[in-house]
Amino acid sequence: MAMIEVEDLHKRYGPVHALRGISFGVDRGVLTGFLGPNGAGKSTTLRILAGFLGATAGRVRVAGFDLRTHRLEAARNIGYMPETSPLYPEMKIEEYLRFRAELKGVSRSKRTEEVGRACELTRIADRRRMLIRHQSKGYRQRVGLADALLGRPPLIILDEPTAGFDPNQVQQVRTLLDDLRAEHTIFLSTHILSEVEATCEEAVVIHEGRVVASGSIEALRKRKRAGVVEVTFHRGEGALRDEELSAWLTQSEAIAAAGRRRGDNGLETWRVTLGPGVDEDAVETLVAALVRAGAGIRAVEPLAVSLEEVFADLTGATPEDEDEA
Amino acid sequence: MTGFWPILKRELFALFVTPLAWVVITGFLFIQGMHFYLVMSHYAVSMELGADAGPMQLFFGQTVFLYLPLLLLCPVLTMRLFAEERRSGTIEALLTAPVTTPAVVFGKYFAVLAVYLVMWLPTLLYVKIVSGTGQVDGQVVAASYLAVVAVGSGYLAIGTMTSALTKSQLSAAILSAVTIIALFILGIGEYVLPEGSGKELCAYLSVWSQMNDFSRGIVDSRRLWLDLTIIVVPLFVTVRAVEAWRQEL
Repeated sequence: MAMIEVEDLHKRYGPVHALRGISFGVDRGVLTGFLGPNGAGKSTTLRILAGFLGATAGRVRVAGFDLRTHRLEAARNIGYMPETSPLYPEMKIEEYLRFRAELKGVSRSKRTEEVGRACELTRIADRRRMLIRHQSKGYRQRVGLADALLGRPPLIILDEPTAGFDPNQVQQVRTLLDDLRAEHTIFLSTHILSEVEATCEEAVVIHEGRVVASGSIEALRKRKRAGVVEVTFHRGEGALRDEELSAWLTQSEAIAAAGRRRGDNGLETWRVTLGPGVDEDAVETLVAALVRAGAGIRAVEPLAVSLEEVFADLTGATPEDEDEA
Repeated sequence: MTGFWPILKRELFALFVTPLAWVVITGFLFIQGMHFYLVMSHYAVSMELGADAGPMQLFFGQTVFLYLPLLLLCPVLTMRLFAEERRSGTIEALLTAPVTTPAVVFGKYFAVLAVYLVMWLPTLLYVKIVSGTGQVDGQVVAASYLAVVAVGSGYLAIGTMTSALTKSQLSAAILSAVTIIALFILGIGEYVLPEGSGKELCAYLSVWSQMNDFSRGIVDSRRLWLDLTIIVVPLFVTVRAVEAWRQEL
């Protein structure tokens, strides 16, 4: 049974059409990444899922409850961490978490235990008597995370959970997510692809308010697996020069670009980008062209494409742009 | 009303820790202390006591010192209720918890109302002091406090509403102060307007007249209905405003 069902969801902010009819589902027990460049509509979608924002059109069901008619029931099933982890600075961490636990209906007898568990999991137990005002961004983020875990909700929604963390803390969050996945369905947004590759089983990719891809990480990566190959070959005496060979190979529509990566005139390795929308046949074309040019082929190896490249391809941006974003 | 109690408790905590409540209470008691001193010193020199003009009647009904602090302190008490949560973004965590919008609004409103009651509590000492020097009519005192609570509850409801209508605490305070002062000034119409429906309306809306009546022990239910309206309408608007954010944030 699906934990999240989104059907043809639209959101307009005045003249801005932030979500243009997105649909996707998240199955119970699956850790799903919600990917997209900044401004794609990730936070808007999560805020709608968490019941903070109303949708302009479309249907959203969380844990089987329609948000339009059963917001409160849905909210009881969600632990939500907003992007900025807004907290009350005048409270101590423990006071804040006890308040949140009470708000979420955790019974008085279980409150101390629940707050203790959330503090342990997010490694803030030693700071629980300190004022939130005095915490760094990273620690505030952890308090937000601890808040999302209170009451053990079946669904945990995290908006950019590792923003503001140093690499060690990022690793700790990944370990935490690993621990939590047995008990919870987790839906997290990020614009950092390596995070999704490292932690998630599935991903939904969104760009300019539309879902451009969804599925398992493996399937997403495969979308471009045939796209780039490395060919190692031996070029005979008096063979074509580099530029000539490059021009020769790219004559065919099946090959978009070709260039030498390493090696010398003896044994060299070239990286070849296949043309858009072609499948494995393109590799045959490439091999044939190389043989006709007098090369002795030693190896042809498809390159495992990083999600960055898939993402860039799907959203029409370059991976470098995304890293800066 | 899921969530009412935790929100009420947290608001009280915030009011007393920040320490807005202490500042407001201190300011209020200082002004009322002066006010009471003036009333008492007036009676110390003028020995003429009218049937309905004892020190408590004068304190509650016939000087402007009772209202002046309320016109300013009520907006200060309520200004941060929603404006601060929206500015800092904590409203997102609050409204995504399993709580109903009326619970959020009433939790916050009753917290400031509780501070308001605590603020008046020490003034019971004045009653004690006056009763030590002469007789105090219990009904007059009860009616006076009823009026003070009814009028203040309305002012706080207006403040709660303006806090929900803006993201800035300062704008919220100014907006509610202007509204409350405008209501107060309308009451003056009773004395300046020519005979007619305008004058009657102003008399009906006049806080001054209400305090004057109640401080003499005259409890007019029409006045209380008006007060109730000034409580209910702004709180209803607040609930609607908070619900509207879900569509427009």
